[in-house]
Amino acid sequence: METPRSDDLAALHARFDALSAQMNLLVERQRKTEEFLDEMSPILKAAVTSAATRLDGLEKKGYFAFGRELLGVGERVVEGFSPDDVRQLGGAVVSILETVRALTQPEVLRVASDASEVLQNAERAEPVGIFGMVRATNDRDVQRGMAVMLELMRHVGRAAAIVKESRAASPLADKRAKLDGILGAKRARTLGVERPAAPAPTAIAPKPIAPVASPSAPPVAACAVPTKGPAPVVTTLDGVGFGADGHLADASQWTRALGEKLAELQGVAMTDAHWALVDAARRDFEATKTSPNIRRLTQVTGVSTKDIYALFPKAPGRTLAKVAGLPKPAGCL
Amino acid sequence: MSTHSTNRRVAIIASHGGLDEAYPALILANAARQSGIEAFIFFTFWGLDIITESKVDHLHVNMAGNPSAPMPTMLAGLPGMESLAATMMKKQMEELELPTVREMLQILHESGAELYACELAMKMFKREQKHLVAQVKDVITAGDFYDLSDGAQIIFT
Repeated sequence: METPRSDDLAALHARFDALSAQMNLLVERQRKTEEFLDEMSPILKAAVTSAATRLDGLEKKGYFAFGRELLGVGERVVEGFSPDDVRQLGGAVVSILETVRALTQPEVLRVASDASEVLQNAERAEPVGIFGMVRATNDRDVQRGMAVMLELMRHVGRAAAIVKESRAASPLADKRAKLDGILGAKRARTLGVERPAAPAPTAIAPKPIAPVASPSAPPVAACAVPTKGPAPVVTTLDGVGFGADGHLADASQWTRALGEKLAELQGVAMTDAHWALVDAARRDFEATKTSPNIRRLTQVTGVSTKDIYALFPKAPGRTLAKVAGLPKPAGCL
Repeated sequence: MSTHSTNRRVAIIASHGGLDEAYPALILANAARQSGIEAFIFFTFWGLDIITESKVDHLHVNMAGNPSAPMPTMLAGLPGMESLAATMMKKQMEELELPTVREMLQILHESGAELYACELAMKMFKREQKHLVAQVKDVITAGDFYDLSDGAQIIFT
């Protein structure tokens, strides 16, 4: 048997020392952890208690309710808007942010706070009449403020015009509709401009004319004066009396044969279209006791002014009334 | 038996654009045509408004400086007063069944009256024939006007 050599023993001893040192280290660490836990737990306890109190305080103050509501708002936003809307919003975000930045510049905020100060002191403001307003315009600051407001109005107006253009096909129609909305049916009655425009001119054609006066003919214009019975006779022709102006003195004496003779004297070659107008004029005279003028004839017969002038080129109103045995047409139309 | 002489002519110069100033010219011309008188109207300066498409339905009545106005001149100059006066006048005219200015122009055109615009005034107001109503026959100069009014009685309104 071989006795252990002294250097082997030394090596073993050294290893043992190292092992014990490691053990010591481990024990030391364990002890430190325990100490740490012992030290920390009261602190942690205090912290948790404090946190709970804080949270409770927050809850009481309504932070969580606020958060819950905010979530609800978020949900509603998601429900109310489609992804497309959000994508469009994305495009506008930059300009929105720019607007917000511009609005929150210190100078702008100062103007706003100054303005709100004025509103807070509103009870101290003196009532001002129209002359006060005029006087106030002497103030340089008021002048500057007016310039700013006018510029603002110009921009708002421009924006409104753009919106309107994008909506309405005809700006005039839009304006009329708006006015009608404000004034109701009253406007149509008070303003003559609402009547339909006269039809576009057509080619001259003594076309066959509807011989019947429409039963729904409008009442005689107020500017036309009814005839005051037979005129004094100045000349006679074939036993029938005529007034100073060359019209038949008593319209009831008229016959078709006399009409033909009168037309010949006036140099008018009568056609059916001529007779239709003469008959219409006589019927209208029977009904209204007023010799119709050209405008009245166009309203009663539907024949255009142009056609009447084509049928009776020379002084149509006068000529027609003479042929029809009626007094001079009433009114100046 | 005819009470009117033949070949009578009138040339009417319309130089103002008020509603109250438009009607005399138009009615005189219309009455001339109805009496067998040749008629033409020369629209110049503010009278151009009467035949300008965008203005013909919106002619106003100026009360300020008008001694016949039913109100003091100081009040007549207030904003909106001319529109108010025009509205009142249009109401009155409608009660009398007077045609609107636009209708009057159409009636005149159909009755054979000729409507002319003044070239110089057109240049001054930067208007072209396309801005005028369709019934206007031509844009002429003052010289053309004298050629046209040869033998006519001239009425200035």
